[in-house]
Amino acid sequence: MLKSHNLKYIAFIIPALVYVSALSIFPAALSVYRSFLTPGGSYTFSNYSALLHYGLVKALIDTMLVSIGALILQLFLALFIAMIMVKPFRGNRLFSSLVIIPYGISTVVSAFIFSQIFSAVGGYANSFIVDFGFRPIDWVATSSSSLSVVVIADYWKNTPLVALILFSGLSGLSPSMYEAAKTDGAGAFRRFFSITLPNLAPIMAIALLIRGVSEFNIFALPLVIIGYNPPLITTLIYEFYQTSSTTIYYSYAASTILLFIILGYASIVLWKGGAKSYER
Amino acid sequence: MSVNSSWKSNLPLYIGAIILSIIFFYPLYVLILITFVPAPLNNLSPYPPQIPPGFTFYNIIQAYSALDLTGPVTRSFYVAMMVGGLSLALGIPAAYGLNKIGVRTANKFIIFFFLINMMPGIVVAIPISVEFLKLGLSNMYGVALAQELVVLPLSIFIILGGFRALPRDLENQARVDGANLPTTMYRILIPMNRSAILVAFLLSWMTSWDEFTYAVIISPVKSTFPVQLYNYVTRAVSFEASAFALTFTIPVIIVAVVLQKYLKSQSFTGGLSS
Repeated sequence: MLKSHNLKYIAFIIPALVYVSALSIFPAALSVYRSFLTPGGSYTFSNYSALLHYGLVKALIDTMLVSIGALILQLFLALFIAMIMVKPFRGNRLFSSLVIIPYGISTVVSAFIFSQIFSAVGGYANSFIVDFGFRPIDWVATSSSSLSVVVIADYWKNTPLVALILFSGLSGLSPSMYEAAKTDGAGAFRRFFSITLPNLAPIMAIALLIRGVSEFNIFALPLVIIGYNPPLITTLIYEFYQTSSTTIYYSYAASTILLFIILGYASIVLWKGGAKSYER
Repeated sequence: MSVNSSWKSNLPLYIGAIILSIIFFYPLYVLILITFVPAPLNNLSPYPPQIPPGFTFYNIIQAYSALDLTGPVTRSFYVAMMVGGLSLALGIPAAYGLNKIGVRTANKFIIFFFLINMMPGIVVAIPISVEFLKLGLSNMYGVALAQELVVLPLSIFIILGGFRALPRDLENQARVDGANLPTTMYRILIPMNRSAILVAFLLSWMTSWDEFTYAVIISPVKSTFPVQLYNYVTRAVSFEASAFALTFTIPVIIVAVVLQKYLKSQSFTGGLSS
């Protein structure tokens, strides 16, 4: 009885399920399959070996560095914001609105603004540096400074979402816990490290999962700010993408590598606690 | 955490809030500077001043007369509307069904949807674009269909949160009174759940307005606003591009601020608290 009752309602979910699968699982499988093909249609590993020649390893390391740097910066800023947002004070609404605005700003607009801030000539970051009497910096001169610029530029649009997620976690903590800790004589730091952080850990895992995956897929921001120099894994894929050219097979191969990295990362985070805290 | 804390005890809080506000407002300030300060004083000088030395509408007028604005705006608008509409057409039934089956089963489906959502956009976009080219969908319809993939899981999640908050008996009462399912849905369930549905629509709309990856891969020419802006930026017409960027940012800022109170209240916890 109950089974058939459930089945009837699953019928409502099927259109969404079919849609999502047809437009994601099917193309991803196609990508993996074609990565082992030559333009002529025979099987090969040459797409992968060609990628090694075009700097695949460095692109992967650079992507990893950008992701880790951006995650640390965003979690740090978001934690501060969320802790201020939960406090009742005059101006809270204004503060929340100001901090949330970048969430609505287009990635390309944000990338454009940061390319103006960090341009070597006529950049606003350099005019700050010169005002304080230091020598201006050519931000895109070396690979490491280019990557740092991408990490910095990424905080703006993406921190608000992390802050909102942490905020929903923080506002779920009961004030009586803090009151009890206060009466027991725990100071502000002690309360932060013994109550706030441990209780926030599950929701931080969710934030890390959501942001970590999108960090690895970061595309428009590096494309606008630093172009293909140095390439991240996504810009490397895009560089080879030409519907009319045979280099698209390199794109498929690089896509397959990115896909498996993402799957690996997601399963590690889910396994380490994300899914458990969700099902609770 | 009493509301009537004195100014003194709140001082670190205010200092933190002010510093963070500056950090988050500064990029927007730069956009306004580039748009309204005469170009020779600004990004054509080696070290542009942080405080505006002059004011002009010339950049905006120049941008509107020299660049094609109406094309990308209308295309972006239609695509965003299609994506928002598709979110509701697919999301409302799915959320309704998920609310009816048990919470545990529903959560398994939700996890599946979000796992799918993690599929890298660029990985999926390239094969989609190759297939869409064969189907004649390398246009705005194709872009909208692909972008829907990004927003559907969150839309379902938000609408589901709204359905879960409604009293269970509501639907049964309507059915006892003789309403069939479509009528119950249209007359009772959807109107009662309208704030969650509105949030889902607006979030889908905003995400589509902003989406770049699928748009640039599926339809690189005659495309949406972000792709057009990218083309202008690479052609290095920065002060015109900034006027262009600012025009499109203002409406979205308004939507974001309106959404802020919904976002804080229910959307991210609604589906979780069962």
